[in-house]
Amino acid sequence: MSKEPDIVKNAICTFCGCVCDDIELTVDPDGKRITKATNACVLGKSWFLEHKVEDYPVAMINGKEVSFEEAVEEAAQVFVNAKFPAIYGLSDTTCEAQKEAVAIADYLNGNIDTTTSVCHGPTGMAFQGVGESTASLGEIKNRADFVMYWGGNPAEAHPRHFERYAVTAKGMNTPNGKEDRTVAMVDIRPTSSSLIADIFLQIKPGSDFELLWAMRAMVKGKALDNTLEERTGISMEKLENLVERMKNCQFGVIFFGMGLTMTRGRHFNAGALLELATDLNDFTHFVALPTRGHGNVTGADNVVSWQTGFPFGVNFNRGYPRFNPGEFTTSDLLGRGEADALCVIASDPASNFSQKAIEHIKSIPVISLDPKPSVTSQLARVAFTTATYGINVAGTVYRMDNVALKLRPAFKSPFPSDEEVLRAIKHRICELRGIMINKTAAA
Amino acid sequence: MSAAIRIKNGKVYDPINNVDGEIKEICIKDGKIVDSVPSDSHCIDAHGMVVMPGGVDIHCHIAGHKVNLARKFQPEDHRHDVQPRVGNLRSGTGGTVPSTFTTGYRYATLGYTTAMEAAVPPMGARHTFEELHDTPVLDKGYYVLLANNVCLNQLLEKGRTEEFKEAVGWWLNAAKAYAIKLVNPGGDEPWKGRKNSNVHNLDEQISGFDLTPRKIIKALIDASNDLELPHPAHIHCNNLGHSGNYKTTLETMKTAEGRRAHITHIQFHSYGGEVGKNPTSQAAEISNYINDNPNISADVGQVMFGKATIMTGDAPLTWLLRNMTNNKWINADTECESGCGILPFSYQEHIYTHALQWAIGLELFLLAKDPWRMVLSTDHPNGGSFENYPKLIRLLMDKDFRNEQAGNVNQKAIANTNLLDIDREFTMHEIAIISRAGPAKLLGLSNKGHLGIGADADVTIYDEMKDREAMFNAARYVIKSGELFINNHEFCSDLDGRILHVEPQYDEAVEDIIRPFFEDYYTVQFDNYAVDDDYVHGAEVIPTKSR
Amino acid sequence: MKLSLHTQPDVPLEADVIFPDLLLEKTVSEAAALEIFHGNEKTTLGDFFTITDENNDGTVEVEGDLSKVKLLGSGMSFGRLKIIGNVGAHLGAGMSGGEIIVEGDAGDWVGREISGGRIIIKGDAGHMVGSVVRGSSIGIQGGEIIISGSVKNELGNGMRRGLIAVGGDSGDFTGVNMKAGTIVVLGQLGQRPGAGMVRGTIISTHNAELLPTFTYDTTYRPTVLKSIFIYLRKLGFSLDDEYINGNYQRWSGDSIELNKGEIFLYAE
Repeated sequence: MSKEPDIVKNAICTFCGCVCDDIELTVDPDGKRITKATNACVLGKSWFLEHKVEDYPVAMINGKEVSFEEAVEEAAQVFVNAKFPAIYGLSDTTCEAQKEAVAIADYLNGNIDTTTSVCHGPTGMAFQGVGESTASLGEIKNRADFVMYWGGNPAEAHPRHFERYAVTAKGMNTPNGKEDRTVAMVDIRPTSSSLIADIFLQIKPGSDFELLWAMRAMVKGKALDNTLEERTGISMEKLENLVERMKNCQFGVIFFGMGLTMTRGRHFNAGALLELATDLNDFTHFVALPTRGHGNVTGADNVVSWQTGFPFGVNFNRGYPRFNPGEFTTSDLLGRGEADALCVIASDPASNFSQKAIEHIKSIPVISLDPKPSVTSQLARVAFTTATYGINVAGTVYRMDNVALKLRPAFKSPFPSDEEVLRAIKHRICELRGIMINKTAAA
Repeated sequence: MSAAIRIKNGKVYDPINNVDGEIKEICIKDGKIVDSVPSDSHCIDAHGMVVMPGGVDIHCHIAGHKVNLARKFQPEDHRHDVQPRVGNLRSGTGGTVPSTFTTGYRYATLGYTTAMEAAVPPMGARHTFEELHDTPVLDKGYYVLLANNVCLNQLLEKGRTEEFKEAVGWWLNAAKAYAIKLVNPGGDEPWKGRKNSNVHNLDEQISGFDLTPRKIIKALIDASNDLELPHPAHIHCNNLGHSGNYKTTLETMKTAEGRRAHITHIQFHSYGGEVGKNPTSQAAEISNYINDNPNISADVGQVMFGKATIMTGDAPLTWLLRNMTNNKWINADTECESGCGILPFSYQEHIYTHALQWAIGLELFLLAKDPWRMVLSTDHPNGGSFENYPKLIRLLMDKDFRNEQAGNVNQKAIANTNLLDIDREFTMHEIAIISRAGPAKLLGLSNKGHLGIGADADVTIYDEMKDREAMFNAARYVIKSGELFINNHEFCSDLDGRILHVEPQYDEAVEDIIRPFFEDYYTVQFDNYAVDDDYVHGAEVIPTKSR
Repeated sequence: MKLSLHTQPDVPLEADVIFPDLLLEKTVSEAAALEIFHGNEKTTLGDFFTITDENNDGTVEVEGDLSKVKLLGSGMSFGRLKIIGNVGAHLGAGMSGGEIIVEGDAGDWVGREISGGRIIIKGDAGHMVGSVVRGSSIGIQGGEIIISGSVKNELGNGMRRGLIAVGGDSGDFTGVNMKAGTIVVLGQLGQRPGAGMVRGTIISTHNAELLPTFTYDTTYRPTVLKSIFIYLRKLGFSLDDEYINGNYQRWSGDSIELNKGEIFLYAE
């Protein structure tokens, strides 16, 4: 490897699901930090510029610094002695690391789940029930003349979503950007995003499903009860106007966020929205996309799906993959006190799961992989400090629309990547279990 | 490197080398077929068995974005068909869209060692390689979708044919594809932005372009030939599934003007009748044309009864089927490149159209005078899973079985075909042609599909059984690149396969045309678009003549 | 045969061998040797249960705190399975005949995808009672699920035939995507009952807020309700006469689908 470049062009930002790939990074000559991140949004800038190589131990057991090898041994022992080991997280790491994690779950007969189960898991379940009409983001940029956001605040969560993909972006059939589009927002309160909307529907909290259901009935020309306004805060007339615009656009899109999927009704809310977009295809071309949060949560869905057949919440206890959200999703199984070991990759369930789940986490051995200390890593039996993907680690990530991109890291980290740690643990587990995993390359 | 292997006493079928059931020794060393091996080499006694080159699937859908969508879409289909972990092999799930590991293992179980993913937009190439990497045993490549590529079509409508050809060359390299794929040429524009419509004949103007499907078809057939790609343009014709579409298919084949072209899943394109009414069989008409025109090859796309998953770049078709079945449905557009539709489906014996499709596929096999140019596929999983191949082989080899099966399906449909009048039974030699030698030849894979000296040591050994379905259902031995993968019906050790792709020459100046297009209309940076070598480790570049 | 849990499992125990079809053909020692999964560890029934040869009347009795024991009675087609204690997920999944009685609470997915038989639960049950599994659209195709207590969300999701009766409250989306069949909830229905229902009947002895895609038809005394209630009384539900003889509002929906579903709400 030659010396690190000072400028990294077309670098890829993994802070959020937009995964912008046009960032120009300037790396300090000491090769330990980034001094400039041109084109990045405010979130991306802080992601790149605030990243420093800290002086953490590479690995700790029960809070005491140990060698990498000792920690790998301890982690493997924890795993092979467990009857229901659970692996969780994975949305802020590379696909290469995700593959190793699934392999471990497979060789261990364990459980694997990603943070999807606590963000757009309901979308995944809805998708399995009703399907979806979707598109890559460039289609929105080139064609969409009707853009709706439902239950999300992209101006703050995905700051470049408007400019790169959906609102002010100029494309083939939308040469004037926002002028060529109608932008609608649906939320329970005005936000910085709703300020730019041509149409804003402020709906009563918890009435998303009713409103979506009413829109579906309107699209299909079906009977509708007149209590709608009282229940949702939106008048029949206003909704009819909106639905007419949706039916008559050239190419429509609805983006939706966790305001829809994580409120009461969950997968039914997401399903109603996906079905609404499908119904509209009787009149025009219409698509819907979840605005995914983490930089590679979409990659996690993809990797787990192609390796097991199921997107998240997969259990290998019986030697083959089984899927059942609610049963094999981590927050649920910890809440019921079921796992007897937990490995967390790039996530912090000990700070954001239910109290019951957190109590259970505290009662079982935990292995954590994270670039920085977290509540979870602090209570872990084995804690690894790992290098940060996208900044220090190369690999593949998926944008929220399932487009795969190759990372262009800026400088080296003294810490191993998640992939390296997981592979080392996998090898040790296989040794302990007597599984010969060295594939024969038939070349 | 692998140990040497001698296979003795087996009945060998190797059509490329004119070996038709001779008892013959096959020797293997360093991944290749050799003329002899040391006498103490590992020996497989294949007495009572049939030895063939490993199967080659010329058209299936096994990796990439649409496949993965279809996979995570159907947990109900995986649940009852699990693949438990054995040794160091990985576990997985089956159904019509199996997980990647299971796909590799199950293909190998049937004796297949090469498979081609048939439709990927270039932007999905990286994802496809990720999945192919996790698809064990098989050597594999994919065909890149170019017939609805906006940048290419803009060049074409302006008559910039030379730059068009260079751009095609650039795209093949950038996406590391094996061949050029056309799906419903010109149909994406009306589908995506203009109220979900479609194009219906080859000379109709495509909305937003001064261009017709015929011009696209001609240009890509020419590009494939001029770039001297090992496999010609791989064409999914317009009007798939519509009554009366055989005329479109004939027109498409005529557009080749004597140059090589491959028409895929031609069964779905051999229907008579009027649009909107029940189809009839035009298998004879289509067969006659192909019999008389050696520049044309095809795979059948046989329909098999039972569960299937429709997945295709032909999005308007799945919308049509969705409205007929009311099943859950996926549409997935790729910017500037492609459309895509997915739908769970079930072919049922008692339904007229399904029974007719089944019979037309069989007619096409049985009427083909040259089996080298009418090869086996079910368009997995569109016409049914690849796991149906053994049953399909039995249908072709066993007339009594075929007629008995025909008696169990919609009789009105059977009466509208000539199936029962055909007495032909495929020989073992012909099966070896349509399932390995023929596809390998059509793909230009000179080291595959045969057992001559220097060929890749991809070898399958089946117990010779009267029930051909049982025989082809589970090979007793499968050797891939000289390594035993299945030994006496048991998996040995996990094996990787290779990626196969082409690298035709092109003029790099064409990037000056493509780059600005990217800056305006793509959301991926031009410099982040091309797939680099990391994704195709262990690749084999199949030479084009110019390179 | 009687099974008493002697060791509490640390992690879920998948005891899908506990159903009369299998156990009644075995001797006590054969039954004890049957393989089950404790997490990912293969173990035997005898490692967790004391098995005795009692009540030879075609009943299998299981006792103990079985809340971490899954798949009891799954796939059963005849006989009786009596459970004394709380029980974990997937009770009676896919059963086609026979009877399960639980003297306690049950977990999630009680009687998912059943086609016949009867499940009686004296306590409460969890989510997705008598429902589909994810990805599939067809739920139970027959049989009866009778629950004295309350249940959580998605009761009878995708139900196609059969009867589900709940003595207490039900959670959200009761009878969602129902194709046909009958659901009776004697307590309060949760949010959005009958969403996406095609056909079928949901009955509640309380008022409920329905989706805007349901329309009010009339208020009357449907005789069919009376016969259903009398049947439920026989099954042990205590039902006041006023509910049996009372007036009910009939609502039609879901208009997004065929609009052939009906919801009956008690009208005082």
